[in-house]
Amino acid sequence: MRIRLDPWPIDTDDGQLGLKPFEGELIDVETPRWGAIAAKAIPERLREVYLVDGRRRMESRIFIDDEAGNVGVGGFGAYVAGAVKLCPHGSHLAVLEQVRAQRVLAYAPGLHIDPYRLSPRHPHTGQLEYTPLPCAANDPLAPMHAVQQAMLNAEQQLSHGLASQVPFDEEDEREELTSLTLQDGTLRSKNLGGAVVGCVKTMQTQYLPPDRVGLLGELQPGERTPILHLKYNGGRFVRFTWYVRLSRAPFYQHPMSGVMRLEMYAPDEADFLPPIVRKVANLSGTLLGRLASAPHKDARAPQNLIPTAALEQAMSRAMGSQELVTRRIRSHLAREIGAVA
Amino acid sequence: MTQKPVNQNLKLSSPTPPQAPARIGMVLGTEDVTPTIFWFAVSVGASVQLDDLVVVETQRPDGKTVTFYGLVDNVRKRHEGVTFESDVEDVVAGVLPASVSYAARVLVTRVDPENFIPPQPGDVVRHARGRELDMALSADKMKEGAFPGGLLADGQPLPLNFRFVNGEQGGHINISGISGVATKTSYALFLLHSIFTSGVMDRVGLGSGQGGTSSGRAIIFNVKGEDLLFLDKPNNKVADKETEASAAKGFAADRYTMLGLPRQPFRDTQFLAPPRSGASGDAIVPNTDQRSEGVTPFIFGLREFCARRMLEYVFSDSAGSLNLGYVIGNVEEKLFRLANVQTAPGTHLSVTDWRPDEQTEIPEGIDWGDVGDIQIKTFDHLISYLEYKLLEENDGAGDKKWVLNQAQGTLRAFTRRLRGVQKHLSPLIRGDLSPAQAEKYRPNLLRGAQLSVVDIHNLSGPAQMFVVGVMLREVFEHKEKYGRQDTVFVVLDELNKYAPRDDSSPIKDVLLEIAERGRSLGIILIGAQQTASEVERRIVSNAAIRVVGRLDLAEAERPEYRFLPQSFRGRAGILQPGTMLVSQPDVPNPVLINYPFPAWATRKDEVDDLGGRKAEDVGDDWLR
Repeated sequence: MRIRLDPWPIDTDDGQLGLKPFEGELIDVETPRWGAIAAKAIPERLREVYLVDGRRRMESRIFIDDEAGNVGVGGFGAYVAGAVKLCPHGSHLAVLEQVRAQRVLAYAPGLHIDPYRLSPRHPHTGQLEYTPLPCAANDPLAPMHAVQQAMLNAEQQLSHGLASQVPFDEEDEREELTSLTLQDGTLRSKNLGGAVVGCVKTMQTQYLPPDRVGLLGELQPGERTPILHLKYNGGRFVRFTWYVRLSRAPFYQHPMSGVMRLEMYAPDEADFLPPIVRKVANLSGTLLGRLASAPHKDARAPQNLIPTAALEQAMSRAMGSQELVTRRIRSHLAREIGAVA
Repeated sequence: MTQKPVNQNLKLSSPTPPQAPARIGMVLGTEDVTPTIFWFAVSVGASVQLDDLVVVETQRPDGKTVTFYGLVDNVRKRHEGVTFESDVEDVVAGVLPASVSYAARVLVTRVDPENFIPPQPGDVVRHARGRELDMALSADKMKEGAFPGGLLADGQPLPLNFRFVNGEQGGHINISGISGVATKTSYALFLLHSIFTSGVMDRVGLGSGQGGTSSGRAIIFNVKGEDLLFLDKPNNKVADKETEASAAKGFAADRYTMLGLPRQPFRDTQFLAPPRSGASGDAIVPNTDQRSEGVTPFIFGLREFCARRMLEYVFSDSAGSLNLGYVIGNVEEKLFRLANVQTAPGTHLSVTDWRPDEQTEIPEGIDWGDVGDIQIKTFDHLISYLEYKLLEENDGAGDKKWVLNQAQGTLRAFTRRLRGVQKHLSPLIRGDLSPAQAEKYRPNLLRGAQLSVVDIHNLSGPAQMFVVGVMLREVFEHKEKYGRQDTVFVVLDELNKYAPRDDSSPIKDVLLEIAERGRSLGIILIGAQQTASEVERRIVSNAAIRVVGRLDLAEAERPEYRFLPQSFRGRAGILQPGTMLVSQPDVPNPVLINYPFPAWATRKDEVDDLGGRKAEDVGDDWLR
């Protein structure tokens, strides 16, 4: 018997490793030879790499009754979708982009809602404006889902707006890879055509068949598996995916720690691998090796990348102090209703 | 090479520019904001350094404005948004986004009006210029009493309040710093130059209703080398040094022009030096190595020594024994009476009650007078006479009136000590001068020139103590008689030696008198020392204006320097020559200044004797 540790802290919801079996199609699209592929240098032309992430939170659950006499539930929420822009060659400092909080008033469908403004009582605290956002349903979790969806959409827009376009058929003259976006987490369902890579930190689902899993433990830092074409959920989701090792696994952790799964959008047919995807896969080991975090600085190292951690912090800050906002909402309502605040 | 004084009315700062200076930052909200100290975040593109003077306006809830003036005493930059020290590598590699936070701490020097509310985080911070600068440095309160005490970092003159120098509201200046690099004497001379040439004495004289002009005099004791014997000669390096300094600091003009002071050596000077020791009758020449012309030897007449009760200054440690002090006092009194009955012209003492043949050792060269008296003409003989009166007369019992029942041991201690200093004092105290010579060589500090330099560096310790003590007492007595107009500045370095904290000496008593009472008499002590912690506390604490040059860091932590905020104390260890920290009563925080290179020569090789021309040109004139 051998016992080894999961690298992630025990207070996160899941470990880094789960062993959920994969139900879908898996096709070798790059090469039939299943073996480690060494990382390549980052091409000179790739000047910009963006890391995109989003954050959201609910600030209050609310009960609404509108002028027409309808009632329903809703919530004040906030979200941010932001990016870190960096040069993979280190030619300039990394900067935060568009880290700006959006505030929404999510409400049950059928209500009549105006934008809601919390005006400041103090000259040094800004005005909070909540834009109305209808929910899909009138259940208590719907406002949170609405905010989540708004955040994902914003993230998606940002990711693709920043990245180079990926051509998806052979006729398309290959666009140069000058700008790449790394998005935190799996890719959203819709492909908007940008060179966007989803960085999946955890391995909840075991996509590889048992005879191939062994390679993950054998990868050296920077090395990757060949690219696979992946189709699941009844063909609704089609992705290219590959695994890359960011750092060596310590002896006391399971051999797949330090490995990250990357994915990019794929066409339905598994007969064409866009050159850009191969290029991204080739440089991914080098790039991520550079961005990987160290275990003494980040509990989710190395998969939680250095810029991502900084971005998460900046986004939380952009949303402001939860406590203070709740207090503002309360005192605002008190004044609206006419009670003494 | 000299320039005319630029203006009579000292202009302390440039007029307020038409539009207010740009914002350099905002008061921080993440550090405590208090009415006396606060931090501000420096705006992107702005540059703030230590000692910058800044101004912040804040609105009270009732709409009234309160203005804070202050001095930057700390600036720092750090990465914001990162947690670990090694994150700097990731930031520089372009992997980790972080911003640089640049913040400065302000020590408030003035709040106007005096509403001690804190500024609001977010209030705009600007550089103080023009009128605001005057407010920050309280120059508006000084009015005609302001004279330049040096240049601030940005080239604006620092006003010092003369009323806190001349004794009106305060007096005395004290300068501390390590020898050699702290340039204490240079700064003292610069202050004198500024006081004498800026016209501040006249302006304050007028302002105080004391009539037209008031003049001041200065007495400098030269204790090290012959540095101060060339103060009346132009310095041949000043032009180059000042050009260099102006270029390095980015000033538009040379520092004398910016201060509104003429670049000239001291004008009205006299130089006094002790005579070379030699046999009686030899020519009296000053004991100086580098300069002989224009230096007057000073000698005290033997009769004057007795008549003016100078004996106590021979003993630098009289307080060591009560009995000894008693003997000194008694002998002094006897000599005083003796001097008062002298009738013959000259500086000797004529005595009739001395029988040298009764002594075990007959002193050499005794001058037997015509009528059975003996003329005492040397300090040596005076001591022999005292030995006779105290220990030998009446078969060793001494003259009763002189002995006054003191024990032999005490009397012997007295004469032994006199013998100990005899060698040092003999050249200074002479009884063989004619009345004309006595007049010529009597040190005349108060009626001679505006600036008197007394060179005592060649004298031994006891002789230095004697000269300084006697001269200071003379000044003190003179001022006691004539009052305080015409301020007398006394510049004395090495206060550690003359007024040590733990010992007492007659000279320390005089210095204490000056420190405590001199202010009202118009005697101002510009004292300097390496370590204020080792100088009599009352002398240092009486100084209104305190100046610190480079300090030993351990010294800077002593309580004598508590007037410096912590950041200044740390900085005192790295001050360069020509840079001082100046603290004055009008401004609650010290200010860092630099002052120009001396326009007067401080060494013989600095003397500009070519009149500004090249050596070749002067040589050509000679060959013609």
